[in-house]
Amino acid sequence: MREDPSRPGDLIVDEGPGQIPPGALVVAPSAITADSRPLVRIAAEHRGVRWRTVSPWLATAGRLVLGAVFVVAGALKVPDPAAAVRAVRAYQLLPEPLVATVAFGMPVIEIAIGLALVVGVFVRTAAIASAVLLVVFIAAVSSAWARGLQIDCGCFGNGGQVAAGQTAYPAEIIRDVALLLVALALARWPRSRLALGRPAHHLEEYSRAY
Amino acid sequence: MPTETSRQSKRERLAARRAAEAAARERAERRRRTLLGGVIAGVVVLVVLVAVILVQMNRTATSPTAATPANTTDSVIVVGSSTAPVTVDLYEDFQCPNCKAFEAQSGSTLAQLIAAGTVQAHYHGMAFLDTSANDKYSTRALNAAAAVVANGGPSAFQSFHDLLFANQPPETGSGLTDAQLVQYANQAGATGPAVEQAIKSLKYDDWVKNATDQASKDGVTGTPTVFVDGQKLADMSAAGLSAAVSTAAAG
Repeated sequence: MREDPSRPGDLIVDEGPGQIPPGALVVAPSAITADSRPLVRIAAEHRGVRWRTVSPWLATAGRLVLGAVFVVAGALKVPDPAAAVRAVRAYQLLPEPLVATVAFGMPVIEIAIGLALVVGVFVRTAAIASAVLLVVFIAAVSSAWARGLQIDCGCFGNGGQVAAGQTAYPAEIIRDVALLLVALALARWPRSRLALGRPAHHLEEYSRAY
Repeated sequence: MPTETSRQSKRERLAARRAAEAAARERAERRRRTLLGGVIAGVVVLVVLVAVILVQMNRTATSPTAATPANTTDSVIVVGSSTAPVTVDLYEDFQCPNCKAFEAQSGSTLAQLIAAGTVQAHYHGMAFLDTSANDKYSTRALNAAAAVVANGGPSAFQSFHDLLFANQPPETGSGLTDAQLVQYANQAGATGPAVEQAIKSLKYDDWVKNATDQASKDGVTGTPTVFVDGQKLADMSAAGLSAAVSTAAAG
């Protein structure tokens, strides 16, 4: 079922490797046979071709932004462990015996997640883990806000101290929600360019599969 | 009776099956590698996690035999009569500008209340504004205050405390030098080689760390924080302080 298109915009049902003229619409054979309204599917597939070119680069951008934030946030907590302990304790959520372990361990987890995202290995796992952490952070900051605590989130180091009236809960929550959206998008569409764990030829295979 | 074409199509089918098998093997191999990589990465993260936790615990640990300055109770420096009806707890960092502002507007009122025997002040030092630029000034200043109270008693501490806030270095500056701290200590009435030695050697470093940690355990997340008989002071002005003390004394 291959037609020979002569004009850009003509329809090809791609049944395997072959020369595809520029501007042709490429659709999977299943789009024709499996659907009772093929033209609708064809139009959707046409948009999909362009999307499949752009989306891996968007995923790369998301990986780098989210990964860099996690690496920086983790690294800033390492030099002053006493401040990290105070920052965790300031939330008044954890029992005292757990405070130090969480304060010292959290930066390691953050840096590990961040590095995985930046380098591009285990992207989906790292994205899901970062989403889980961000949900925890959002919940913790919201609860501090709700309880009327006067603290800094300690997200990027600092010991949680803040001068009276200097809290920034809304900004902290908005930032974390934005990062959470990036993390969820990466968990859903983890394929990206410039990733160590997903060489580019996988992507080409992926697009050719259609 | 196989013809030429049927033999050829058989060969093609065989080739196709081999290709499919090879692809399946490659997929399985890739899955195996991913799994192995995941396990190795997980183990590495776990080992680093445990190592970092241990190192940081070691870094924050204070010696159980750490020097504790005389004339202090736990991490508190007490100034004023033990029979005073009202207790005022103050959490301050010598590098904190808001503390300087509080001392400037309400310090003399507090001093009068202490002198009148109405208030016993409990000074809880905190040192969380150390930077490399100020050469850990928060810690050095609180350590010096400990040296002063240990050698000169509460009244020398009170003078030293007021002197340090009056002469507080800018927050982004380089902090007072040890020599300047010794000079203020002498001026406050704590003199002698023991004071100078304690200031220069950071003798009470661990005490300072413990005091800062204790403040955090007390739920204090900012300075200055003031409690009047356990009630957090909201109005930090001189009038606000007097009013809160009067209420507490009456209650």
